[in-house]
Amino acid sequence: MTLNGVVETDFPEEFIEEMEKTDDALPKKINANPENVEKGLAKLVLTLIELIRKLLEKQAMRRVEAGSLSDEQIENVGETLMKLENKMEELQQIFGLKDEELNLNLGPLGDLM
Amino acid sequence: MELYIYGIIDSSGRMVESIRGLEGADVYNIPYCDIGVVVSKFTKSPTQNTTKDCVLAHEEVIERLMEYFTVLPVRFHTVFDGRDGVVSLMQSYYKDFRDNLDRLRNKVEFGIKVIWPSDKMKEHIINTYKKNNKKVSVPGDSSNKRFMRDKFEKHKLDEDFQKKADKFINVMDMFFSKFVAEKKLNRLRTENLLLDAVYLVEKDKQANFKEAFEHIKSAHQGFKFLLSGPWPAYNFVTLPKKSDSLKDSGQEDLFDKVIQHRDLVGADKI
Repeated sequence: MTLNGVVETDFPEEFIEEMEKTDDALPKKINANPENVEKGLAKLVLTLIELIRKLLEKQAMRRVEAGSLSDEQIENVGETLMKLENKMEELQQIFGLKDEELNLNLGPLGDLM
Repeated sequence: MELYIYGIIDSSGRMVESIRGLEGADVYNIPYCDIGVVVSKFTKSPTQNTTKDCVLAHEEVIERLMEYFTVLPVRFHTVFDGRDGVVSLMQSYYKDFRDNLDRLRNKVEFGIKVIWPSDKMKEHIINTYKKNNKKVSVPGDSSNKRFMRDKFEKHKLDEDFQKKADKFINVMDMFFSKFVAEKKLNRLRTENLLLDAVYLVEKDKQANFKEAFEHIKSAHQGFKFLLSGPWPAYNFVTLPKKSDSLKDSGQEDLFDKVIQHRDLVGADKI
């Protein structure tokens, strides 16, 4: 059986690999069952925290770039962001979650990570 | 009796030639005003029938239809419970189907994916920074400030990475856009997958579009390209409202943009 539509590439393996990465990042179903419900909830909550953390970080970087933060403010923001990052790593370890698992599709803005 | 739907066509007439669909059943048209729904009788439950052969049979019917009609390809495994359900669907959606058929007449879909050497791009950005001796505006040596400095460097790197990606995508898209009616672009779905796009191309501009693709391909050494098509215009069928008949039948995604059947035969994976 021959289809009119054809796929032309010299690198099929590479494209399959990349497409699989996009599938992994955006699961079609939430895998929730009694055994993993705690992890599932933690994943959801940590994803939202990660989103907020990234937004805070982006805003801080914009202000650094604009030169609108004093020396003391940079020190304080740095400390806050560092502590937040460390806490997130700690929580991810507790629930066995990898960075790429904390992802969100932000529509036209793309993926969170 | 269940009916398996292949697509909506811009004709209320009979099939021009005999087409066999899933389970070897005769494919026929159910007319509604000046358009029609192409179906065949269906006995198995959808879960029993998801095989590569079925997927290919579905696709082949659509492509055969495309030789004679404008087709709104329906998602693989769309099954309705009898003729009444199909007619009810047409009553709810007639105007939308008509609009889509007019918009998609004589057009086909092409997919383009591009992988770029992201590591080399990053290396180039870092080297440019070093060469230009750009200073990062976070002075001081406390651990908090070092943290902020590292973050800021990463932020600038990401920003330049995105800008570079946009630059390449704009150049490529500009070439392709000369020959397309509509497009949908996804940029940087992964760090390596620079572009994942679908283009709606008029049938008589297919050769120009492919030529533009070859031109872009040869002008970007070190990049990897994939061209797929011509496909039915799965990604360009738009339905603004959901009908109760669809909700009741559990077929809310009549025109699935994920294109399940292409996925199953492997084409959509690449």
